[in-house]
Amino acid sequence: MSAGRSAPTLRPLRRTPRRSPLRQLGKGVLVALLLAFTLFPVYWMLNSSLDAQAGHTSSFWPAEPTLDHYWFVLTEGGFGTFLRNSLLVALGTVLISSALALLASVAVARFRFRMRTQVLMLVLIVQMVPLEALVIPLFVQVRDLQLLETLTGLVVVYVALALPFGIWMLRGFVAAVPVELEEAAYLDGASWGRMFWSVLLPLVAPGLVATSIFSFITAWNEFIFAMTMLGGATESYTVAIGLRSFFGVHSNDWGAIMAASTIITVPVMIFFILVQRRLASGLTAGAVKE
Amino acid sequence: MTLQLTETLPRLSRARAAVVRPWLLLAPALAILAVLLLWPLVRVFLFSLQDYGLREITTGEPSWIGLENYAEILATPELWTVVLPNTVGFAVLSVAGTVVFGTAVAVLLASLGTFWRTVTSSAIMAAWAMPAVTGTYVWVWIFDADRGVFNDALMALGLLDDPTNWFTNRWTFYAIVLLNVIHHGFPFVAVTVLAGLLGVPKEMLEAAEMDGAGAFRRFFLIIVPQLRQVFAVVIILSTIWDFKVFAQVYLMPGGAGSNRSVLNLGVWSYVESFGQNRYGFGSAIAVLLTLLLLVITAVYVRTVLAEEER
Repeated sequence: MSAGRSAPTLRPLRRTPRRSPLRQLGKGVLVALLLAFTLFPVYWMLNSSLDAQAGHTSSFWPAEPTLDHYWFVLTEGGFGTFLRNSLLVALGTVLISSALALLASVAVARFRFRMRTQVLMLVLIVQMVPLEALVIPLFVQVRDLQLLETLTGLVVVYVALALPFGIWMLRGFVAAVPVELEEAAYLDGASWGRMFWSVLLPLVAPGLVATSIFSFITAWNEFIFAMTMLGGATESYTVAIGLRSFFGVHSNDWGAIMAASTIITVPVMIFFILVQRRLASGLTAGAVKE
Repeated sequence: MTLQLTETLPRLSRARAAVVRPWLLLAPALAILAVLLLWPLVRVFLFSLQDYGLREITTGEPSWIGLENYAEILATPELWTVVLPNTVGFAVLSVAGTVVFGTAVAVLLASLGTFWRTVTSSAIMAAWAMPAVTGTYVWVWIFDADRGVFNDALMALGLLDDPTNWFTNRWTFYAIVLLNVIHHGFPFVAVTVLAGLLGVPKEMLEAAEMDGAGAFRRFFLIIVPQLRQVFAVVIILSTIWDFKVFAQVYLMPGGAGSNRSVLNLGVWSYVESFGQNRYGFGSAIAVLLTLLLLVITAVYVRTVLAEEER
């Protein structure tokens, strides 16, 4: 927009007809509608979680503002335990899957070896496998390992779920590190291991953070496996299935459900906004020119 | 001679390291993928050829029945009248809805100034960041029959006399799932297409504008061909995601198998396995779903690799 002002002689024709007030107004209305549609569920969740009257009357702002729902969820509702379980599972998943994904991504991004394309293809294809197909055999497998109803069993499964995307995403970050830096390290007499620790790792660190956050979100949100493998072991529940304990047979405690949902959603949203750009480009890496 | 030997030896071992090292680096990840993703895939196929129930799980003795599970699935009238239409029809509608809406949003975002573009695109991230589980519960609460804000608003406006339960009817049930999935899925499309749009050379658009091409023609004749690759990826990824919607259906009232008219392939497989303990039958359904996705994935991989080789 300011280009017209800085170089008026070069672009005398453009922009003036486009900035008609009607057009601007139309755009403003569209943006407002878009934001209303996008943010309404989040707003409604917050609104209900803060309203003592939630489930009795609908109003567009809390009729009787209160934090009681949060208090109830975290104390009597046992959500503290669910939060701790989810944190443990997510951290375990992040540590293991990021380390393995880093090593594997260095292999596919830095070495030309036979079957490299096949390995990459495998990594792509396994991402597409529906969880519904994996849940039956993995249930049997985890059962044979006697890990049903344990958090360890969940970590094992989530590492496998987070790994392919982690490799795919980190591959781009590793490839972006100039090879010349590696060669300079070799010229200075560094071994491959030394080069990895002192050159590659620090440069890939931002990518590692993004990948870790993605793995964290995967583990934090996962629902099918948690439901299937934890069964009735309430004390091992993660947040995603712990929510279900607020559903009654005849009526649901919507205030509590929305408060618990808010507690689950907020960390994910913060993380998400931190990695949004990397996430979108990671998903389409290799396919979209930037 | 000796001089040559000492020179070639370290070079040889370095060459060997270059061959072995990638496999050493890959080994732990490949081992995990093999044990936890590939072997289960083989196993789910093996289960699908057995009458695999609780007894087989505990004793571990297989009872092979060949393709009987598949024959039973194909002979189930529900598959053709309910499950497949719910899976395929829903995927088609939601992919079309997500891509069209996401693209429209991207065009709107591209026409904004930097400030409003940043604000709006960050705000739509909130929809993407919403976990499927909590997102679904919020929609269920909004459309709740007794206390939901949707019914209340319709009644206040005089459009509805009595509260309606939107979850019992197959069409309104899936309309809500569609709303949920599009709401959650469009930000990815919008952000990706926006990145592509901003990459289209300004000169091309300006030249077309000078030649008298209207906004629609500029969009379909210049922007769409430029972004062919972007659209291919966005459509295929959305298709893969929307074919396997599970939580968004399972967590809705009646979605966990009690309302049979809203079953899709994924939920059907799950409730047959873990609800009825018919793991073999459920596995066969899961295999069919996987094959369906595999075909789509093959297209995706070809698109991506074709681009990479350029």
